[in-house]
Amino acid sequence: MTRRHFLAAALGAFPLAVLRAAPNALSPLDEQSFRQMVAAHRGKVLLVEFWATWCAACREEMPKLLALRASYSAGDFAMVTISCDEPEQERGAQAFLEKQSAPSPRYIKRAKDDDAFINSIDPKWSGALPALFLYDRSGQLAAKFIGESSTASIQAAIKQALAEGG
Amino acid sequence: MDGESAKANLCQFALRAGISNANPWSIANLRRWNSLMKHWLAALILFLSAGALATAQEYQVGSTVADFQVKRLDGTPASFSTLKGNVTVVIFISVQCPVSNAYNERMNALYRDYSAKGVKFIFVNANHTEPAAAVEEHARQHNFAFAVFKDENNVVADKFGATVTPETYVIDANGTLRYHGSIDNSQNESRVTSFRLRAALDAVLAGKQPPQTETKAFGCSIKRASR
Repeated sequence: MTRRHFLAAALGAFPLAVLRAAPNALSPLDEQSFRQMVAAHRGKVLLVEFWATWCAACREEMPKLLALRASYSAGDFAMVTISCDEPEQERGAQAFLEKQSAPSPRYIKRAKDDDAFINSIDPKWSGALPALFLYDRSGQLAAKFIGESSTASIQAAIKQALAEGG
Repeated sequence: MDGESAKANLCQFALRAGISNANPWSIANLRRWNSLMKHWLAALILFLSAGALATAQEYQVGSTVADFQVKRLDGTPASFSTLKGNVTVVIFISVQCPVSNAYNERMNALYRDYSAKGVKFIFVNANHTEPAAAVEEHARQHNFAFAVFKDENNVVADKFGATVTPETYVIDANGTLRYHGSIDNSQNESRVTSFRLRAALDAVLAGKQPPQTETKAFGCSIKRASR
């Protein structure tokens, strides 16, 4: 293969590689798209998990939450993950979610102003991770878990939100 | 209060609760006493828990910071009153947290730049998972120009309401908390656009109000001791 042929083949393969990576890519999320995402889940109880690759407690919590998610009907309950990683950590986040078989869509926080983003979700939240926010079927915040939390307490909150109907 | 007036007060109190004077020890009256005592016990518990909440109140910007104790890495005690300066920075840091570690160089630079201006720094490790020996080794590996103190049982972190590392507090000469939040706005130094702690320090040193008094500190959660 000549150098020219090799270059052409490499250039031809590039868009394919991008397309192949696309299904696993993390969707950027800001204040507005966060609100839209919560609204789109109305009718279901929604658990939002804020995590990051650098957060050991988040990495430990993720498989427990995914197991919890699997125990509920998809028609009643949804869980989304929002990575708080920096752009250079995004590939690591993607790989971790892939390994965990985390459901899509998978989000990554990309706000112009992180403080404004955190305040828009809950002014009392310092931004500490892990952070879980549970929304009821009407899209209202029902419970939150900041820092390391017991699976039993998360489960109890989900159970209550599911029982409340809406 | 003498014995007689105490007795009179108790009678009045009993009458108000519907306990009649005719036969204070009748079954009906005993039930009322019982109910009365339950109410008072509930009120007492409420009062005591309100007191506990008041003492557990975390500092807010504008609060006066009371003296507190930390430990040097050799285990000897040190107090805020002896470590403080005209302007004091308290920074909660960690050995293992990648976000805290992303700030090691910046913290060294902050310490050098502002120590020269008379600012005192109290770097605190409140993670119960990180013993003094690990903190000492970490400081040595990263050539910290500053001392790190241990906050055993995270008493100081609780008082400040610190939840992550790194998380910073600026205290002025009067002991008033003037700034709380992050060092800057990005763990990646190349993307920093807002030097929040430096701006707060410059303002307080100049006798001015910091441009931002409260920002969101981001990082790893402080690993608290279970008490």
